[in-house]
Amino acid sequence: MNGWIRRVFGKTDEQASVGMQQTEKSVMTNNSGDPENEAATETADLKPVTNAATAPLPQRNIAEGVTRELPPEVMYSGMGEHFSFGQCTNVGKVRPNNQDAALSFFASSRSVDDRPDFGLFIVADGMGGHHHGEKASAITTRVMNSVITTNIYLPLMLGNQDAPPIAEALINAVQKANLEVIRTVPEGGTTVTAVAVIGDLAHIVHVGDSRAYLVSKEGLEQVTRDHSLVQRLIELDQLTPDEAAVHPQKNVLYRALGQNEIVEVDTITRRIPADARLLLCSDGLWAYVDERDIFEIAINNPDPQMACEKLVSLANARGGLDNITVILLKFASS
Amino acid sequence: MPETTQFGGIEDTHNEGSLKANTILVNRYKIMGVLGGGGQGAVYQARDLRFPEAKRLVAIKEMLYPSNDPNQRATTLRTFEREANILATLAHPAIPKIFDFFDQNNRAYLVEEYINGSDLELLMNKTKELPVEKITEWAIDLCDVLHYLHNHQPDPIIFRDIKPSNIMIDSFGKVRLIDFGIAKKFVSGTKQTMIGTEGYSAPEQYKGDATPLSDIYSLGATLHHILTRKDPRLEAPFTFNERPILDFAPKAPQGMVDVIEKALAMEPKDRFQSMAEMKEALERVKMGAAPAAGKTAARTNGNPNATSLFEGEEFSASAIEPRWKFKTEDEIRGGPACFRDMAFVGSYDTNVWAVKMDSGEFAWKFPTTGGIAASPVIDNSNRLVLFGSEDNTFNAVDYQNGRINWTYSTKGRIRSTARVAHDHVFFGSDDGFVYALVAGNGRYLWQYDMGAPVRTRPFVTNDLIIVGAESGELVGLELAGSRKWTYRVKRSINSSPVVDDQGICYFGGFDGNLYALDSANGYNLWRFRTNGPIVASVVKDGEFLYFGSTDGVFYCVNAESAREKWRFTVGKPVVATAAVHKGSVYFGGTDGAFYCVDLKTGKEKWKFETGGGITSAPYLSENIILVSSMDKTLYALPMVN
Repeated sequence: MNGWIRRVFGKTDEQASVGMQQTEKSVMTNNSGDPENEAATETADLKPVTNAATAPLPQRNIAEGVTRELPPEVMYSGMGEHFSFGQCTNVGKVRPNNQDAALSFFASSRSVDDRPDFGLFIVADGMGGHHHGEKASAITTRVMNSVITTNIYLPLMLGNQDAPPIAEALINAVQKANLEVIRTVPEGGTTVTAVAVIGDLAHIVHVGDSRAYLVSKEGLEQVTRDHSLVQRLIELDQLTPDEAAVHPQKNVLYRALGQNEIVEVDTITRRIPADARLLLCSDGLWAYVDERDIFEIAINNPDPQMACEKLVSLANARGGLDNITVILLKFASS
Repeated sequence: MPETTQFGGIEDTHNEGSLKANTILVNRYKIMGVLGGGGQGAVYQARDLRFPEAKRLVAIKEMLYPSNDPNQRATTLRTFEREANILATLAHPAIPKIFDFFDQNNRAYLVEEYINGSDLELLMNKTKELPVEKITEWAIDLCDVLHYLHNHQPDPIIFRDIKPSNIMIDSFGKVRLIDFGIAKKFVSGTKQTMIGTEGYSAPEQYKGDATPLSDIYSLGATLHHILTRKDPRLEAPFTFNERPILDFAPKAPQGMVDVIEKALAMEPKDRFQSMAEMKEALERVKMGAAPAAGKTAARTNGNPNATSLFEGEEFSASAIEPRWKFKTEDEIRGGPACFRDMAFVGSYDTNVWAVKMDSGEFAWKFPTTGGIAASPVIDNSNRLVLFGSEDNTFNAVDYQNGRINWTYSTKGRIRSTARVAHDHVFFGSDDGFVYALVAGNGRYLWQYDMGAPVRTRPFVTNDLIIVGAESGELVGLELAGSRKWTYRVKRSINSSPVVDDQGICYFGGFDGNLYALDSANGYNLWRFRTNGPIVASVVKDGEFLYFGSTDGVFYCVNAESAREKWRFTVGKPVVATAAVHKGSVYFGGTDGAFYCVDLKTGKEKWKFETGGGITSAPYLSENIILVSSMDKTLYALPMVN
């Protein structure tokens, strides 16, 4: 898959039964190499959409090179109390296919209920030859989205008291995805770094060496810990980060989906400060673009979609040696 | 590393075992079949036609060149030849003989002695466990052959790749070391992301520093795998100490465990310094003698016996002498509170006692008509000491002389410690209500019906009061007393909630879980399971939570990841809340001991024995620790960290 596709899966404007005006927007963006969904995309893009926030993107000529130019961000601008996001994935300049997958699912409501915004964002970096990698990452985003919708999002909507703790539901989603990868693509594997955002709380799940960064005025903080051999060696003071960047085994992971029926999953719960950004990315970004550049672009662009595009362009300018995926969430000002 | 590569990437399409049966190589070796297809090349069984009468079998290893560039191939071949020449001169019963090597059809071949047997990896796959005596014997033999290699002249030979699949057990039950490192020269560098590490290699080996001490580490790793059956290739690298051998192989002798732990030391200088030394230690294990592995036992985290043996010598229990003791007439269940130069504590003898901080001298007492289970609290601005009693009454007395300032009666016994915030005092009662009164004069503001006894201490944030009840209900109340949210657990809540600066609320349940909720809405973020009801509250310091459980364990858990960092085993229930001061965490156990434990490592620094269980949090200051005990006494210990 080249470039990115934005999909509009649905849009509902509802009148709440108590007579209060209530609007819910549900936007789902899915960039993955899942060929089964290709057709669905085409048709979805043709549907008439009236809401500006979820309107399809204008047709543009695709410039020579690897990234498409994007229109300015139209979503939620000027709605200070909600967050906005951007997403971009790109094959890079060397690889024949894009084994990364990205998914964004976002719902924001305004009503007397005062429900927090909900968002689910996933980056998965597949591995394995013969299209196994792209299948593994696609399956992972799809399975996780369905499990999390069922076990976190719907209980939030229904006010279900018996819902499992959020971290457990997220771990469960990763484990289901893992089993599904083992079942359907035994030759493939994938990393996954996902965040479920409820209000200003970020619940991160993570396996492998894709990363989540917290970007705030204070700087860039890597929130996840790579499950890679070189990271362990750094932690044990056996390697410096500079040595790790050129280590012959820098791509060796000790934990990934599709490897073993039992996968250990990291979870991190963080309250995100006002005005901060949360950035998810595959190693196609962080291995080739300096953290300083990531920070500058993420913090200085008011439009997160634009920032994602710039980051991907920069990774390509640095050689585009790997697939590149970036999701950037911009949290509201206080 | 092809053996452990699960997703090898695109170049992994080589035809393994490309030679068909009956192929004859260099007019001499007739291929019989494939013995194994490890990674980049296959191993064949072949017959040496030079000996037509005797059926002499050999193993032939086929190696592919990493590159098609003729110069690079020539270099690889030269390296290979040089090393094969060295190996050909080796003479040790555990090293297979090398007969020949040659280059044909763009591949290199190494002809070795054929070993009839099974490698240890295969043997592990076929068995559930192997006898410890056998493993010990093999380990000794491996030390022996590695000692031989390490002492090779003029240069020591480092094996570099000790692991179960490179160790054969032949038909006589003897160890044979196969697959010397030369084959590795033929493995091309892998560019794509892949999963699986060598698992057995020492940390320094990844920097390219392979020494004899790296072989010692790998032998330790191999023995660890054989005993625990936990494949290190499937675990995070260098985490053997997170999988204690005795947890998986209870039959392993302590001596063996100590030897392996020492071999697996992260720093080479902490390992055995030679194979001879390791062999000696293993021989002592074989004889059933006590190990001389030294302080490796101290690494068993949280084992109080081990830590007191090795770490606790500086501060043995007797080294801590109380500065003073103050004895009341009954059990002291609640903790002490302090204001200026005075300390206050409630006793089950129905009194609240005030003593001088520096001397422990009696200042005043305030009598009630019921036992006092809660801790007194201080209202700084009004200089009041506030506490409830099992006589149903809540009292506010002057801190200096103990004179009553105001009282408030509830309809149940009061066992909840109060909280003073926003000029109000909040507490619960066994009558099922949470009360909010004006701290200065006791004027009633509101009460909230929890429907069950409230014995926890309310936590007050900028805009919420959070409190739990015996019904298992935890509520977030607006400051005006109306409910904002409810969270229910299946069993009662006795552990008082605590909210951190991130607005995350932590509390323990009688169901054994520690819960983390978003204090803004009561959403459950995560839970952490212990094996007994949690009565104590958590203390948060930095990113870590510290708390005890009635399962007899004191835990340190990362608040963001809900992952245990360390545990300290007390053995008896821990119901008292801890306190943190300068790198140490302090808490009492129902075993009567008061512990000082290192915040980072979870190791005991010292402990002090009281004559009764400790059920409440200590008071800590720069130079003194106050501890209440059920032996009726309030202890003042010197602050030692």
